[in-house]
Amino acid sequence: MSMKRLVLLLCALFVFGVAACGDDDDGGGEAVLTEEKGSPAQGTEGPVKIAFSTPAADHGWLKAVSDNAKQAGEDLGEEVDLTVNDSAASSAEQADQIETLLQGKPDVLVVLPFEGDALTPVAQKATDAGIPVVNVDREFSTPGAYRAWIGGDNYGIGYQAGNYFADELKCKGNVVEIQGIAGISVTELRTEGFNDAIEQRCKGGIKVVARQPADFLPDKGLTVMENILQAEDQIDGVYTHDDDMAEGVVAAIENANRQDEMFLTGAGGSNAAMDQIEEGGLYRATFLYNPVMSASAIQLANLIARGEGLTELAEPEVPSRIQVPATTVTKENVADLRDLGY
Amino acid sequence: MSTPDAVARRRFLPAQVPGGGIQLQEYALVGVVLLLILAGAVLESDDFLTSDNLLNVLRQASIVGVLAIGMTFVIATAGIDLSVGSMVAAAAIAGGQFVESGSFVFFLAALGMGILLGSVNAGAVAYGRVPPFMATLAMLLAARGIALWMSDKTPISIFELEGIRWFGNGEVLGIPSSAVVFLAITVIGWVLLNRTRYGRYVVAVGGNREAARIAGVKVRPIIFSVYVLSGICVAIAAVMLTGRLASASPLVGNLYELDAIAAVVIGGTSLAGGRATIVGTFLGVITFALIFNLLTLMGLAVEIQQITKGAIILAAVLIQRREES
Repeated sequence: MSMKRLVLLLCALFVFGVAACGDDDDGGGEAVLTEEKGSPAQGTEGPVKIAFSTPAADHGWLKAVSDNAKQAGEDLGEEVDLTVNDSAASSAEQADQIETLLQGKPDVLVVLPFEGDALTPVAQKATDAGIPVVNVDREFSTPGAYRAWIGGDNYGIGYQAGNYFADELKCKGNVVEIQGIAGISVTELRTEGFNDAIEQRCKGGIKVVARQPADFLPDKGLTVMENILQAEDQIDGVYTHDDDMAEGVVAAIENANRQDEMFLTGAGGSNAAMDQIEEGGLYRATFLYNPVMSASAIQLANLIARGEGLTELAEPEVPSRIQVPATTVTKENVADLRDLGY
Repeated sequence: MSTPDAVARRRFLPAQVPGGGIQLQEYALVGVVLLLILAGAVLESDDFLTSDNLLNVLRQASIVGVLAIGMTFVIATAGIDLSVGSMVAAAAIAGGQFVESGSFVFFLAALGMGILLGSVNAGAVAYGRVPPFMATLAMLLAARGIALWMSDKTPISIFELEGIRWFGNGEVLGIPSSAVVFLAITVIGWVLLNRTRYGRYVVAVGGNREAARIAGVKVRPIIFSVYVLSGICVAIAAVMLTGRLASASPLVGNLYELDAIAAVVIGGTSLAGGRATIVGTFLGVITFALIFNLLTLMGLAVEIQQITKGAIILAAVLIQRREES
């Protein structure tokens, strides 16, 4: 036999051998997972295999999402076997990564999609294959594609902020709104909630004198606020959509020495924001949009795979929608909420 | 069709007519700036025409401005540097690693990172024969990754570094310090481009590389140097920005390269290389800063700003083409 053929034969034998050996690690090998359409494995014993996909962290919030999920996996210890994919920089990449994750036949799939619409097909695929999907934050476009959703309350952030401003300003004053990325639902809801609250409470007493997006970026927040400070002589409050972005806004206000003229609120719940709220002064409040929701999602995934529900509730199954409240964080309660900071 | 020799001789002359005369492009740009100031005076007189606001415009222009000066040299060699925005973040974070060691060390660290990354670009383009677009595109991604990785995606507060904060936010005789730095860099850039042999060589290399090589110009070191120059400008811009923000953030610098390139192009420097003007770049930077300022004062949506910017770039390039033929 020629050298080439010998090598080819050895390779084939090698591949065959590996494939044959590969089936042996089922770990304890008790309940076999059935692939019934739509229903999770009932009464699974042994660790629940969870696959978690989230976009690449280019922002403190996303990084916290990833970290919190990993921590939840560790806290659950033997109960779960968690795989985390957090390097996708686009919807297409994430869809590919999820396809690969599905090859590993997880019991549950947890996804924070880069874009809800773009990743709905792959979520639907998982659901059709009998793998329940837990959707975090950015929602898929079809309810049939996922078993449960857990996310924050963007409208609630705006609404609570509006109420906070109404209280602090006693329904009179000039307010500046610094938005995130223009046009996305997060931004629109946070603006809508805010406007609804101040209209309801103050009926025009509070005026939004400037509203500009700063893309969740601190340097953009800086330059936008610098220009607005030029345009407006009297600003009583600044409502920003994001704690990281608010750092730039704060810098602009302090550089112009106008920190005594106004106060500022953020959103999200970053450590930096909480530090400043604790100190007191310009940064008065923030509203939680907490990345700890990913940890909760892992917990939910575990329960769903085991066919269990939330023990405190009467219902036997995990609810299909859980909206996490946008808790207001001020000097009064910041000490208690420190652990949730990111 | 001109011979290579004639082309080389033509390209060896500085872009401006000797004595500092200005071409049509720059005249047009001065006109645009005056028009913008007039519009601002009419539309928003109370807020726009104050010395406070105009100094504000100058201060905001200074960061992209410094980047644009470096970019002028790169584009003059028919190259391009897409990575300056991300490099600003990387340089800022590099400085931030030494926040305990004081302002001077911060500055050195940022400078070091700027030169290091600039040299990587330089090596790839000059000696690796990688097209500038590809090399700097790769660096755009890599530098952002470096910034995120080194900082663990968390901004580093530099509140205590008084020196750096002064650099970004202080004043010299009533003029913002970052504006002073921008003006200083502009002057240095102008002298370098128009009054030194180095500047002539840069333009020559961009205009006709073969002719320059034959004429004895050391082409590769020249190309290498402009990317390092860009890296130095990146470091300066990073220090100014960090000073203004009072924090080194890995998220900054997004799309700054496009602003810098746009300013250079509308200023009259040719993307094809061989023709460069620092005065034009300066005016281009001021133009965009004025637009941003005016539109924000007017409370107009950010989309209007983007459309306006695009329209100006198009108009500027069309004038350039008209002039070339």
